[in-house]
Amino acid sequence: MTTIEGLAHGLSVALQPSILIYSLFGALLGTFVGVLPGIGAMAAITLLLPITYYISSEAALVMLAGVYYGAQYGGAVASILLRLPGTPQSAVTTLDGYPLAQQGRAGVALFTSMISSFTGSMLGIVVLVVLAGWLAGMATLFGAAEYAAMMIMGLVAASTIGSERPAKNFAMVVVGLILGCVGTDVNSGAQRLTFGQPVLMDGINMVALAMGLFGVAEVITNIPIAERRGPPARVSLRQLVPTRNDIRRMTAAIPRGAALGGFFGALPGTGSTISSFLAYALERRISRTPERFGKGAIEGIAGPEAANNSASITAFVPTLTLGIPGDPIMALMLGALVIHGVQPGPMMLQSRPDMFWGLVASFGIGNIFLLLINLTLIGVWVSILRIPFRWLYPAIIVFVCLGVYSVRGATFDIAMVAGIGAIGYALTLASFSPALLLLGFVLGPLIETNLRRALLISRGDAMVFLERPIACGFVVATAALILLPLVKSLIRSRAPDKSRAD
Amino acid sequence: MLTTISRRSLMIAAFGIAAAAAPAMAQDWPSAPLHVYVGFPAGSSPDTIARLIAEPLAESLGQPVVIENKPGAGGVIGVQQMLAQKPDGYSFGVTINGPLTTAQRLIPDLGYDPATDVAPITLIATSPLVLAVAADFPADDVDAFVADAKARPDEISYGSVGKGSGAHLTAELFASDAGIVLFHIPFQSYAEVTTSILSGEIDSGFMAPSAAVPHVEAGTMKMLGITSSEVFPLVPDVPVLAGKAGLPDDFRAELWNAFIAPAGTDPAIIARLNTEIDAILENEDLQGKLLAMGWKTAGGTPEDLAARIETDTALWGAVIDKTEAQN
Repeated sequence: MTTIEGLAHGLSVALQPSILIYSLFGALLGTFVGVLPGIGAMAAITLLLPITYYISSEAALVMLAGVYYGAQYGGAVASILLRLPGTPQSAVTTLDGYPLAQQGRAGVALFTSMISSFTGSMLGIVVLVVLAGWLAGMATLFGAAEYAAMMIMGLVAASTIGSERPAKNFAMVVVGLILGCVGTDVNSGAQRLTFGQPVLMDGINMVALAMGLFGVAEVITNIPIAERRGPPARVSLRQLVPTRNDIRRMTAAIPRGAALGGFFGALPGTGSTISSFLAYALERRISRTPERFGKGAIEGIAGPEAANNSASITAFVPTLTLGIPGDPIMALMLGALVIHGVQPGPMMLQSRPDMFWGLVASFGIGNIFLLLINLTLIGVWVSILRIPFRWLYPAIIVFVCLGVYSVRGATFDIAMVAGIGAIGYALTLASFSPALLLLGFVLGPLIETNLRRALLISRGDAMVFLERPIACGFVVATAALILLPLVKSLIRSRAPDKSRAD
Repeated sequence: MLTTISRRSLMIAAFGIAAAAAPAMAQDWPSAPLHVYVGFPAGSSPDTIARLIAEPLAESLGQPVVIENKPGAGGVIGVQQMLAQKPDGYSFGVTINGPLTTAQRLIPDLGYDPATDVAPITLIATSPLVLAVAADFPADDVDAFVADAKARPDEISYGSVGKGSGAHLTAELFASDAGIVLFHIPFQSYAEVTTSILSGEIDSGFMAPSAAVPHVEAGTMKMLGITSSEVFPLVPDVPVLAGKAGLPDDFRAELWNAFIAPAGTDPAIIARLNTEIDAILENEDLQGKLLAMGWKTAGGTPEDLAARIETDTALWGAVIDKTEAQN
């Protein structure tokens, strides 16, 4: 079956009314849970899983996939309007989305995130169709050494986002790395920083950390100021329309973000949270006006949102072509497939082309649904801001607790989110960037396990990072990232000081 | 021997106490929903197994059976949460072997003793592991693999899903029985182990047959042997390891899932559940679904399960002793 035939066949599967209805339902539910802070795709898919035993395998997967990428759309909404990341993937969207909302441009910010999410997903689908085979090969080219080198590069590249003080940024990354150490050490089985608590054996719950740092801290910050600040004005349709300048910035950032996300999504060991952080770092690095970032730069929304949606599509590459899930959500999807007697793996394209192409086609249809749903809902979302503080914020706290509890049913995590929230508030007061703490927390364990594994496999020979060409490439790029600013500042110190002119 | 006697006498004692109180309780049981604690997240294989059992069980008991996912610490959190409930005949658990056989050795503050705090109900299903290598690995059978390993001790590497995991202990048991030394590389998931074998980063690994089959069909992986005592229906051409390459004839290493209750649960309720679940396990549709996931339905009496817990605790305890001595 050629690609064109496959797609045509896929469309004929995905356009059956019974499949369409599940796709629409999944997309709607995904948007909804994505908007609710703390409750993510994982919780929704978990709840839907028992239902999938009773419907056809195509319908089941299309519905679950709809929830999964729908949540990526919805996640940005609360990030932009309330500085509450609906999902960890959209945490970076708060950095520029929230300032835009405060400037009264919430509509434009939402529009940007929707259109970036849509374009990112569509480009992700193109990547999935055209490059699935090639990307599946990539997954086996990446060993522990490559992952370690790539993640170190990511950490270096992204560690400048956030506040403007390098020392404070650095401190936050380090705190994140330390928090990432909590749990069972993979190599020795030793308990690190768990204080004898079995609930901490698998580490700190990432949703609790993200919701505490961003959500709870933001609610506390708003207590003294909220009632004095009047509700924002009603958003007219015209306010949704981005300026020509916005569009120009967007059109360059979206393909960049989508390409980056598409690549990272296809690697089973990374995840879409990292892709959004890196897309943000990339946009800021190549921007001619990096000082606008953190104050409402359109690229700061467009890049990461395109990246995390593109990554969420290409994350299906290792799951479907190798049977290797890249994250817990993909593991759930794989479980749903196996229950229906479909074993994803290298032979799936031959053995179940209906499934593979039907899924690809449903991604396209689902994303069109999502764009339509979300564009019509922007007005509704913005009106959330008009709800008085005394109603809205207690409700947010309830949803945060629900969401955190839903991850693994541990009451301990609710206490944790309260504690982290207090710390997060203190950090905000001292103008530390919680985004960088989250970055260290996400990347730290990945770097550590891969670095140690690479050295274990090479029997302690550190040259492995230079002998393997891909790893070596990342090491060189990391060195360049560190050295280039030094060289630049040297050149600048010789040239006359122009920086004050603008 | 001492543990056998003490557990038997304890069970008899528990039986006696509960039997006195039983009539009032057992007659109208169940009059409320049953809660089944699972120490793994929704969608994991223990969870799927629990759900596949829960539905027909709810039908035959006439009460809803609610699955409570309490994931963490390799399934230990689920057992701990079950034990935190009253043994009133409404709290149960579905767990893998780890929390009942090796957790007391691997987790310092476990907070329970599997031998006295847990009442076995029935063994649901067992899963063997296959010894898998990449297709281009020189050895084609386990004899050649062991000969190769003897020629270059500590050089052939294998991946596991962490220190103390079933995959790690199985490989160590295999290595010590075959008289070889393999090099351990811990990973966090079978997905990572699979990728690593395919990319040639590591040489081998013990993994679920269902995870290896797609790659074997694609011609990128080979299965050298299986750890069950009989040929496994999902992979009928893979030879059993027992009796080969110097391994003892009774070599067997399996993961399993069991239905359990907190100790002190009314024996009449345990007996009833044992009968109901054993009947459910006879269903061919269910057997097929479990087999596709790599699990073979088991069944048997609560005493059979108690005996299995005891054998495996001794088996893996010895392996843990050996690996700890190495470090």
